[in-house]
Amino acid sequence: MKLKPVILNTFIESVRDKILIILIILGLLLMASAKIIQPLALGEESKIIKDLGLSAINLVSVLIAVFVGGRLIYKEIEKRTIYIVLAKPIRRWEFILGKFFGLLLVLFVSLLILTIGFFLVLLFTKIQADFYLLLPLLFLIFELSIITALALFFSTFVTPIGASIFTFILYFVGHLTRDLKAFAAMVKNPVITFLADLFYYLLPNLANFNIKGMVVHNVPIPLGVIIFTLIYGIIYTAGLLFLASLIFQRKDL
Amino acid sequence: MKRRFLFLFLSFIIIVLWLFSIVRLQLIVDKKRKKPLRELLVEELAYFPSGKFLKPVVIEYENFVADLVWLRAIQYYGHHLMTDRRYTWLGHIFNILTQLDPKFVGAYRFGGMTLAWDAREPEEAIKLLRRGMRLNPLRWEFPFDIAFIYYMILKDYERAGDYFYLAGRMPETWGISQRWAAFSYGKSENRRDFGKIIFQDLYQSTKNPEMKKIARRGLKFIKREEDIDYLQGGVDKYYQKYKKYPKNLQELLTFGFIDSIPKEPTGGFYNITIGPDGKAKVSYAYPGRR
Repeated sequence: MKLKPVILNTFIESVRDKILIILIILGLLLMASAKIIQPLALGEESKIIKDLGLSAINLVSVLIAVFVGGRLIYKEIEKRTIYIVLAKPIRRWEFILGKFFGLLLVLFVSLLILTIGFFLVLLFTKIQADFYLLLPLLFLIFELSIITALALFFSTFVTPIGASIFTFILYFVGHLTRDLKAFAAMVKNPVITFLADLFYYLLPNLANFNIKGMVVHNVPIPLGVIIFTLIYGIIYTAGLLFLASLIFQRKDL
Repeated sequence: MKRRFLFLFLSFIIIVLWLFSIVRLQLIVDKKRKKPLRELLVEELAYFPSGKFLKPVVIEYENFVADLVWLRAIQYYGHHLMTDRRYTWLGHIFNILTQLDPKFVGAYRFGGMTLAWDAREPEEAIKLLRRGMRLNPLRWEFPFDIAFIYYMILKDYERAGDYFYLAGRMPETWGISQRWAAFSYGKSENRRDFGKIIFQDLYQSTKNPEMKKIARRGLKFIKREEDIDYLQGGVDKYYQKYKKYPKNLQELLTFGFIDSIPKEPTGGFYNITIGPDGKAKVSYAYPGRR
């Protein structure tokens, strides 16, 4: 198993990153602020605290994926540690996969810490917590896998800042393509409709993974939607990792 | 060592001065604005023509942003309730809020009630509640609240009956919705009694303390109407007997036309005033106000 050392190394290195700890603390503080909001909520405490918790977990995890993911490959090149790694019997695509799963492990652990924080907030504010609240977090893991793969993909050919910016733009646009498609349908211009469709189908449709509102309002989500959205996440991530490996393979190191 | 201490001391002084100056400057900026912060927060929302445009900007955090708008809406409502009772932006705020989170039932209901009862815009309230009904077709609360407004404010009993009937057919509805449909279709003179029941049930059904206040206020208004009718009855009987009007309510009590002078439920008192037509009418006033 050649992936394991890369995964562990990426995990340990990322955990040492100050930005990760700062972001987790920020998320926990954001969730704890629910206690201040509670008396102002006028009977809507449950909804507001759940929204706040899920949004804080989401935002912090996305920022970790964007900022930590964007630096992964470039840092190795800059520190020249990549030459030591690649001198060992490990293929380049294995290196990319190792990096990806390493960061996903970091995100999973961060998510676990934030989720525990969220359920503690629910406990302290005496709001009923149910397992249905874990569903948007499962969706978030798949959304994060796409974002991480995107960050890794950009990280193979641009600087860390560039990779973070491009990933963040795609994260934003990925949530907008649905609106773009709807607006284009109103304009009724074939060129605009074509472009909107192109964006809608080719760019990652991250809005698929946003079920927070539905869960907070206890709206049932069809099983088919859950299964196919998760498959979409896996396939999209796999494609991005393939592209990242392809670029990294041809990179002159 | 000494230099290091001096360096740390100077750094500390600079940081303290910096903190002091930013706080001071913010206070100056706030003062120059001449408007309270809560007004500015609401004015900010006025720049958005609708929540439809705000929604794409806030991407997947629309529910959280809707919660922030909800907190602003409550502050706005609370402030104007305590001061001028003018709610210019209330409808706009609740429109943005419910467009951001179309399933926020509490916001539609609170928006509907405050628009109808406090802002005196029942048509706007019905519009908001109808949108809620369209987007949440299985929630009985929307037709129920619309019926309530038709019944209590617009006094359109036919439509009130239609919406009560609709509410009664929804899943998990109150059994009493059907009863009210019958009340509304059948009647009008017993409006106050039914209004009392509706307000009492509204009070029981909500966790929102402001909604509870609205219901309590509604009950007080009905009680006042009942008191005025009762006292006016005494005045009319007095006139029939003596062909003149009593000077005050105490006179009605002394001559046995009423059993007691009820306490005005909102902190005022009842009195007799002579109208331009020369007839005596029972009305209410507040101590210290003319």
